Amino acid sequence: MMCTAVRAGVLSPYFQVTKHAVKGLVSAGAKGPLPAAAAGGIRLAHTDIKIPDFSEYRRPEVLDPNKSSQDSVDARRSFSYMMTAGTLVVSIYAAKTVVHQFVSSMSASADVLALSKIEIKLGDIPEGKNMTFKWRGKPLFVRHRTQKEISAEEAVNLGELRDPQHDKDRVTDPKWLIVLGVCTHLGCVPIANAGEFGGYYCPCHGSHYDASGRIRKGPAPLNLEVPYYEFPSDDMVVVG
Amino acid sequence: MSLVYNLFLRKTSAFAVTVMVGAVLFERVFDQGGDALFEELNRGKLWKHIKHNYEKKDDE
Repeated sequence: MMCTAVRAGVLSPYFQVTKHAVKGLVSAGAKGPLPAAAAGGIRLAHTDIKIPDFSEYRRPEVLDPNKSSQDSVDARRSFSYMMTAGTLVVSIYAAKTVVHQFVSSMSASADVLALSKIEIKLGDIPEGKNMTFKWRGKPLFVRHRTQKEISAEEAVNLGELRDPQHDKDRVTDPKWLIVLGVCTHLGCVPIANAGEFGGYYCPCHGSHYDASGRIRKGPAPLNLEVPYYEFPSDDMVVVG
Repeated sequence: MSLVYNLFLRKTSAFAVTVMVGAVLFERVFDQGGDALFEELNRGKLWKHIKHNYEKKDDE
């Protein structure tokens, strides 16, 4: 647009000179200096500049300046784009792999994961008894509750509790109570089947827990912690 | 050639999708090819190649 405007205007002689000179450059190629004087008798500075030869960098299809480049545009364009896409694909893969390596190096290794679970055979625990296991360096209480204990704990009025939690929220199977044996006061290990509420009693400062592991009396602020566990079969529990 | 260009590479959106899908496919091929090559080079040395020798003894 601008070109046509300028060509038609006052500046047209200059542009024609330029055009002519450029044409001279192209047709001269890399061989020899510019023509000494351009048309119109206008002096051009540095007429002895050698035109650099870029044919080393040209693709073979466009080496010949007299041939139309449009004939080979498909092949050249597809090649360029496919090289770009291929490089991107490989670098995305490489980046993803590096990130994955670093992130997965942060997760626990297989031996640590294997130790983080404990399988407990429930048939070994008689009704009304509590057994203690070591799980992740802490004592784990598994209590086989009697029917009487279950009904007593379910009937507890939540208003009386310091840390109100219904019994059904603390057990999966009401027959089995599984809690961490760490007093929520200062971390002592409570004694099973002791205390005023028939559950656990912490000898350090006298916290009384009921048969659902809930704090009922004494300094502890919270109920005994319930870990994640599941029952793969009727007589087996996996904690962790 | 121009069909591939027009379909998969011309639009930026299509180009991005092509690259992403290509990366997923390339990952599968490259990883599985690498594993297959490793197992081929270590034939008879890996546990899964010699496992059956030990399983028979357990049964007896």
